[in-house]
Amino acid sequence: MHSGGTEGRESWRDSWEAAREGTVAVVDCRQEIPCNPCEEACPTGAIRVGPDICAVPRFDPRACNGCGRCVALCPGMAVFLLDRREDDGFARVTLPYEMGRRPVEGEEVQVVDGEGKALTGGKILKVRAVGGKAPTLLVTVKVPEEAALKVRGLRYRLIERDAFREADEVPSFSGYPICRCEDVSMERVKDILQAGLRSLTALRRASRVGLGYCPGMFCQSSLREELARAAGRGEKEVGAFKVRPPVRPVKLGLLGGENA
Amino acid sequence: MPEVMSSEVVVIGGGVIGAAVAYYLCREGAEVMIVEEDDLASGASGACDGFVSLQTKTPGPHLRLAMGGAQFFHELAEDLEVDIEYRGCGGLLLATTQEQMKELRARAKTLKAEGLEVEVLTASDLKELLPEVGKEVKGGSYCPQDAQVNPISLTLGLARKAQEMGATILRGCKVENIVVTNNRVREIHTTEGNIHSRRVVCAAGVGSNQIGKMIIVDVPVLPQRGQILVTESSEPVLKTLVAGAEYLGTKANIEGLLPADAEAAKLGLGFTAEQTAAGNLLLGSTREFVGFDDQTTPEAMNAIARNALRYLPWVKDLDVIRSFAGLRPCSPDGLPILGTIKGIRGFYLATGHSGDGICLAPITGKLISELVLDGETSLDIAPFSLYRFK
Ligand SMILES: Cc1cc2nc3c(=O)[nH]c(=O)nc-3n(C[C@H](O)[C@H](O)[C@H](O)COP(=O)(O)OP(=O)(O)OC[C@H]3O[C@@H](n4cnc5c(N)ncnc54)[C@H](O)[C@@H]3O)c2cc1C
Ligand code: SF4
Ligand code: SF4
Repeated sequence: MHSGGTEGRESWRDSWEAAREGTVAVVDCRQEIPCNPCEEACPTGAIRVGPDICAVPRFDPRACNGCGRCVALCPGMAVFLLDRREDDGFARVTLPYEMGRRPVEGEEVQVVDGEGKALTGGKILKVRAVGGKAPTLLVTVKVPEEAALKVRGLRYRLIERDAFREADEVPSFSGYPICRCEDVSMERVKDILQAGLRSLTALRRASRVGLGYCPGMFCQSSLREELARAAGRGEKEVGAFKVRPPVRPVKLGLLGGENA
Repeated sequence: MPEVMSSEVVVIGGGVIGAAVAYYLCREGAEVMIVEEDDLASGASGACDGFVSLQTKTPGPHLRLAMGGAQFFHELAEDLEVDIEYRGCGGLLLATTQEQMKELRARAKTLKAEGLEVEVLTASDLKELLPEVGKEVKGGSYCPQDAQVNPISLTLGLARKAQEMGATILRGCKVENIVVTNNRVREIHTTEGNIHSRRVVCAAGVGSNQIGKMIIVDVPVLPQRGQILVTESSEPVLKTLVAGAEYLGTKANIEGLLPADAEAAKLGLGFTAEQTAAGNLLLGSTREFVGFDDQTTPEAMNAIARNALRYLPWVKDLDVIRSFAGLRPCSPDGLPILGTIKGIRGFYLATGHSGDGICLAPITGKLISELVLDGETSLDIAPFSLYRFK
């Protein structure tokens, strides 16, 4: 039993240190929603949500073997792997990837933070599929160490589309898509919030944020802050997106029992 | 918020029906307050399809109501600031057996006699409308007057426009009691305070039975769950609305069109498919009586997927990204409950729209606004009276 560990949003410090010795998970979970696939995924008991499944998970890096199952299963994309063994100013970060075409090892990509803002460039070191029936691709990218804890995703399709853009022409945050799947900007969200909405689900209905391929995984926490501020309510009160299956996209043929 | 509020009319419920009633009342210059327990479109109107389907209505008053309302969608598409994604796309009902074909043919005749355009199509005719259909599909009926709308945008658009015309919207405000004195509605008690009002419209969807209890009237509206799968967005592939004949069978309780499979019958399974403006396919659906439980279930999700593959096999390659379920405000005969209450002046019912509330919202709003303000309606609503059940 590992009763130790630190609450999700604080445990990154322990992970950061432990990553010098080997690959470990970084749990950046703020989801106070009924959710615990990470706990079930973990073969070593390093992640624990416990009996109150709305709690933020506790994580003990010493128990973690870096297998990445939690990364593959977390519907909130709140877990990634970190490896700093090389001590060369770069970190190896492993992220779940589920959009667009399959990434190829050796390619250069842009990495983005939780709000979808481009951070820096990175190189894809490894791509592997983890999980049974509906596997998730885990992509390991090499990024400068100072970006390592901020990386939450790769930008792939956008790079292709925007290849001609000047590299330093980073758009301002408010005009930037807060929801990348549905391409909704923060400006539009703020506009809609003026109608006096009270909950995240109401905001989703009004704006389509969080209705895309990733069901609100990237946008949720920043939206909640913004909404709570606009509505003058607590972050808890404005709630979370209702979690409805499937937590990960699944081929309809598979769901319908074809070749199952 | 002041201790005691007042309004000429109070509309209970911020779903598509409440929003439409408020909109048409405001257009006539009435002072309106929408009282909504949660938020706009938080009920069935935010968890449904967008079929504005005429050929699935029951011939007679129901069909006439729907046909009378169809024209309003064009007006609303113009008048509302929100894009309601209205599309005169036509609708298909597909048959998988010769018996179903026969039934659809007979029905097409009746519908035509009522003035609706309906064509019976063979399997090979379908090629023009659909990329590919399953082997079981024998043909179907096509109604070019069927259309599609985004139900959420419609609800939000109507409410926003009503607000612009002066309506007040109280969100997070639950009606807890209605005070009647001298046979007349006087006051509405809510979690946010009391509202003086002599007219109240009950558009509370599945909450209507509870509202009825406040004035000791039985409003027979039960929640009927419907589950939907949402696929990833794709290129335009569905030009029209598509449904299976069994969908019509379970909806309108037509013996010859009920699903043969026992499990499907238990779920009230009937195939529906539409492609939204954003490109996602919505695949449905079920009709289950499970109280107020609005979760989606693995059994139903599998059954919907399996059923969809029977009709449109090519959907197999699409990713399902989400599911949702809504609670239809279901009346005993599936037709809406519209009109006044005996012995209580100032109380109006606009509920029980079952699986047709989106389609019937504008006409309901129009007629109820007439009833509230003039005491009479431009289309006879007697067939929808609460007292038909007794
Ligand atoms: C899966 C599914 C698919 C459907 N597809 C279609 C379709 O394609 N076409 C179509 O025409 N129809 C369709 N329908 C039916 C349609 O969704 C409903 O008929 C319609 O939304 C009903 O609208 P409403 O405003 O009466 O109810 P709701 O949208 O449920 O609104 C009622 C509102 O009242 C509020 N309320 C309840 N009690 C209280 C209280 N005490 N105080 C304050 N507020 C209260 C609730 O919070 C709720 O917001 C479908 C339904 C489902 C479930
Ligand atoms: S990486 Fe593996 S061992 Fe580490 S926390 Fe995740 S599931 Fe557990
Ligand atoms: S969101 Fe991810 S990390 Fe958080 S509880 Fe769920 S699975 Fe675990």
